[in-house]
Amino acid sequence: MIQLFHVSKYYDGCLALSDISLRIEKGECVLLTGPSGAGKTTLLKLIFGAEHPDEGQILVQNRNIARLGGSDVPYHRRTMGYVLQDFKLLPQRTVSENVALPLIIRGLSSFESRRKVLEALRAVGMDHKLSTIASVLSAGEQQRVCIARAIVNSPIILLADEPTGNLDPQLTTEIAALFKAINTRGTTVMMATHNRQVVEQLNGRILRLDCGHLVSDQGAYT
Amino acid sequence: MKRLWYFIHEAYTSLRTHRTSTLIGMVTTAFTLISFGIFLLLYHNVHNLLGQVQHTIQVIVYPNNDIESGKLRDLQQGIKADPAVDSLTFISKQDALTEFKEQFPEEVYLLEGLGESPFPASLVLTMAAKTPTTDIIANLVNRLQHHPDIERVRYNRDWIERLTLIIAYMEFGALVVGSILALASITIIAITVQLAFHTRQQEIEILRLIGATSLFISIPYLIEGAILGAAGGGMALGFLRGGFELLTHKTQGLSVFGGFSSVLEFFPLPFSLLLIAGGILLGCLGTLTTIYGSLRFRL
Repeated sequence: MIQLFHVSKYYDGCLALSDISLRIEKGECVLLTGPSGAGKTTLLKLIFGAEHPDEGQILVQNRNIARLGGSDVPYHRRTMGYVLQDFKLLPQRTVSENVALPLIIRGLSSFESRRKVLEALRAVGMDHKLSTIASVLSAGEQQRVCIARAIVNSPIILLADEPTGNLDPQLTTEIAALFKAINTRGTTVMMATHNRQVVEQLNGRILRLDCGHLVSDQGAYT
Repeated sequence: MKRLWYFIHEAYTSLRTHRTSTLIGMVTTAFTLISFGIFLLLYHNVHNLLGQVQHTIQVIVYPNNDIESGKLRDLQQGIKADPAVDSLTFISKQDALTEFKEQFPEEVYLLEGLGESPFPASLVLTMAAKTPTTDIIANLVNRLQHHPDIERVRYNRDWIERLTLIIAYMEFGALVVGSILALASITIIAITVQLAFHTRQQEIEILRLIGATSLFISIPYLIEGAILGAAGGGMALGFLRGGFELLTHKTQGLSVFGGFSSVLEFFPLPFSLLLIAGGILLGCLGTLTTIYGSLRFRL
């Protein structure tokens, strides 16, 4: 599903990732852990096509991301969902408008779009707030909508960068449970987090980064 | 369909949100197009007047003195068939003599004792209104001069060349003035759209995050620019029409204009539509300038 071969990344000469090689299989739940500045976000960005590696190759579904042209990147992104810590919702739009956005980009019909939006919102328990303006939602609700938007296209891979960073422990548990459910349905989940509670709850493969180096790769959290 | 609705909705939302800058963009485009339109209106009317004057240009052909009547008929038919020729009038020797007597009655004594009319017969050609450029008339005259049944051809070359030169200068002037004003309009629209871009950075970022292409992101802004341009074009057209009607109404019957106002005419419909299309084009160009200049998008 995802393969990295000796990937390195530098920002203005400073090392962000060094010689990372790994292989992630379909349906895996991978948790990227490590202190701030360890390279977790950079690794996700590389897989998402938001950054180019300075060295090495990245294969996502047998497609070499390192060689993607600028015009191919959006199509690559449509095959995956991305959830961020700061939600990134359009505040003046309704919940359904926010979730429908990836479907509009793909050019789906209104009927198909409505069906998929409802399905995604049901999956995150937000189908009762279809017409609510995003800015009036609570932080937990906004993150749920963000997850619904990420899964509405039925992506094969779901990337998440500190999705519980702004949430209290109760909401963190709820959001982690959502990710667990999505992963159980067969979606590969790759999440950057340093929240011990999330790591325990998801019980996935743990990749520990430190100063850009992959320092450990272990299966279930113990 | 959903996509199209999305694009239109986005453009409309942006225009509504940034009402002040939208109005400024619209008024500036209108002002630019009004300035250009006044120049164009002037050019259009002068061009029309020159066309009418050119219509009066005459080429006089003198057939050989001993030409047979059959050959003269063939010659007349051949000349009439030329698309550059609007009309042909045959003036016989006798007609020429009569005309001289009418125009110069006090000089008639000069012709006494000469017997038959000393004036040669001639063919007077007027040019078709749309065709008389220097080249076309020169070609026609050249052809006629080499005709075996024609003795000589006379026409006022300087006058025609001067007219052609005036038209060429006006066309060049229209191009220069139009280019400068168009650049000004593009710049203003680019700034208006740029403002919309900056205030919607977060939205653009989100769209990129979920796989929108640069083209998808740009389309609402292109529509916004086109609406700005079209509205500016419409305003300009309305202002020009109103101004034109007022001018013709006020100058009608004033002797100082010597009946000039009666021959003035507004742009024909295709020209008016072209002015609005010009506004749309300016709007789109302004948007593209912003897209490429500010965000370095790849379309």
